[in-house]
Amino acid sequence: MSGVIKAENLHKVYSETKIPVKALNGVNLEIMEGEFTAIVGPSGCGKTTLLNIIGGLDHPTMGNVLVANEDIANMKDGELIDFRLKNIGFVFQAYNLIPVLTTLENVEFIMLLQKQDKTQREKRSMELLEEMGIADKANMRPSELSGGQQQRVAVARALASKPKFILADEPTANLDSKSTENLLDIMAKMNKEENATFVFSTHDQRVIEKAKRIVTLEDGVIISDVKK
Amino acid sequence: MMILKIAWRNVWRSKGRSFVVMSSIVVGIWALIVGNGFMNGFMVGYMDEAINYDISNIQVHHPEFKQDFDINLSITDGLKKTEEIREWEGVEAVTTRTIVNGMIASTKKASGIQIRGIDKKRESEVTSLDSLIKEGAYFEGIKRNPIVIGAKLAENLKVKLRQKVVLTFNDSDGNITSAAFRVAGIVKSSSLNINERYAYVLQSDINTLLGIGDEIHEIAMLTSEGVHEGDILTKYNNTYSGDLVEDWKLIAPEMALMQEMYGSMLYVLMFIILTALIFGIINTMLMAVLERLKELGMLMAVGMNKLRVFIMILVETLSLAIISSPVGLFISFMTISYYRNVGVDLTNYSEGLEAFGYASILYPFVAQETYIVVTVGVIITSFLAAIYPAWKAVKLKPVEALHKI
Repeated sequence: MSGVIKAENLHKVYSETKIPVKALNGVNLEIMEGEFTAIVGPSGCGKTTLLNIIGGLDHPTMGNVLVANEDIANMKDGELIDFRLKNIGFVFQAYNLIPVLTTLENVEFIMLLQKQDKTQREKRSMELLEEMGIADKANMRPSELSGGQQQRVAVARALASKPKFILADEPTANLDSKSTENLLDIMAKMNKEENATFVFSTHDQRVIEKAKRIVTLEDGVIISDVKK
Repeated sequence: MMILKIAWRNVWRSKGRSFVVMSSIVVGIWALIVGNGFMNGFMVGYMDEAINYDISNIQVHHPEFKQDFDINLSITDGLKKTEEIREWEGVEAVTTRTIVNGMIASTKKASGIQIRGIDKKRESEVTSLDSLIKEGAYFEGIKRNPIVIGAKLAENLKVKLRQKVVLTFNDSDGNITSAAFRVAGIVKSSSLNINERYAYVLQSDINTLLGIGDEIHEIAMLTSEGVHEGDILTKYNNTYSGDLVEDWKLIAPEMALMQEMYGSMLYVLMFIILTALIFGIINTMLMAVLERLKELGMLMAVGMNKLRVFIMILVETLSLAIISSPVGLFISFMTISYYRNVGVDLTNYSEGLEAFGYASILYPFVAQETYIVVTVGVIITSFLAAIYPAWKAVKLKPVEALHKI
């Protein structure tokens, strides 16, 4: 296994208020290909900040982030958008599907931005929807789906273009226990079958139980890193 | 293609809001075109009235005649020239006039006027004066010295048909001469000159009283449809020398100025209406962007670049303009077509309008290119209005936008 993400001495200080807030304070982390990693810790410990930085959504105050051996910490915004498109899949807490597109179109969306062939896009999207158990909802709009179904569409969208890794910020926070279990099973299955690398932040004990590696953050510092 | 699809569907996401913007575009287009049509109607009505019933297209005078209206300053060989001009290509009709300033008096009142001695047949060919008769007949029914006056003048003098008026003027020797005339007809027009300032008599009658034989002071020409007046002017100057020949723009420069002013009024009106429209569209599109911050943040987070986001907002705005423009154009076209046929009756305001020489029935019309100019104007406005909301969208930072409520 090779390292997909390598964060070195990451620091992040928010200076919007008079008193600067240290969100990350020298984080070193390496995520290997195919890992199923949960980043856990109390609220305000820096989980989301770490995910945002390794996802290229935010810049660290200090330190390096290597994704597939490319340093993204110093990339410009435009370069980062392109980099995210080609390398990273996102699953958000609030699903964040495009409301005016159907389920199938939502899954296809990233591949379309990547200018992939239509036949290939549709084939891949339908395969994923079948894997997720929502192929019959392909022509429905997100508003017609339950929260659990929407989050499965979001996972399918993230997986569709076969990114280097998938970042999921509290993916089960808005789901009931049954939907959470379903989603975790699907994510675990995709991790196994497609060797997809998952990194998610969570509070949810059920997610933590399913994770193969648990990184615990406290006050912006990794206090434990356990592989099962 | 997907960007266009998303943009198109976003237009219909908030139907009420889109309907408001589209309605404002439809109303804007309608107001612009119909407003322009009414202005054109006023202008053309005014000019037609003045050219067709009073000035005519081209006039010829002795070069100094119009300075003092000296009756001895007649056109050299006026009648001969008139007969020759009548054969010219591009000249529809020609008439001659004898013009003298004087007084008209009834038993009750007197008024300063311009006495116009006309050839009744030729005059009606050039100015259709006979068609303006509202009472009596066009120099008919009175055996000796018939006169035709305007309705307003008749009202001022308190004279009626067949009643006597006295004209007083200087003859060719400078002697004050008076003669009695009897009202044969009363004309009504929105032209102030015809209504109030002119008195028409037969050329033969006035020339005898003036003692100027067959001298004339004015040649008036009606040019054929589509003929450029400048060409006739040039031909006249090349054929005859020593006369003052002018087209209607030189005779009535205020009308030429008015034509120019009305032409630019479309752009003034466009500027006002489109400025109002631009703020309406900016406001709506900005709302559309601000309530979708999280979604826009997500789009940029997953890899939609700023250019695509910009294009998406632009397409959303332009779609609103492209959908509503044909509707606005159609409604405007129907409105103009309807009123072009039936006219807009402004007789309630006729007194005020006639004081300015405007007709009381307005026939609006719009040039074809106006529809194109307005459509292009609205689309450019929508494009400009989209820039600010689109710019706001691309300036978003995905990490911040994703956490907006």
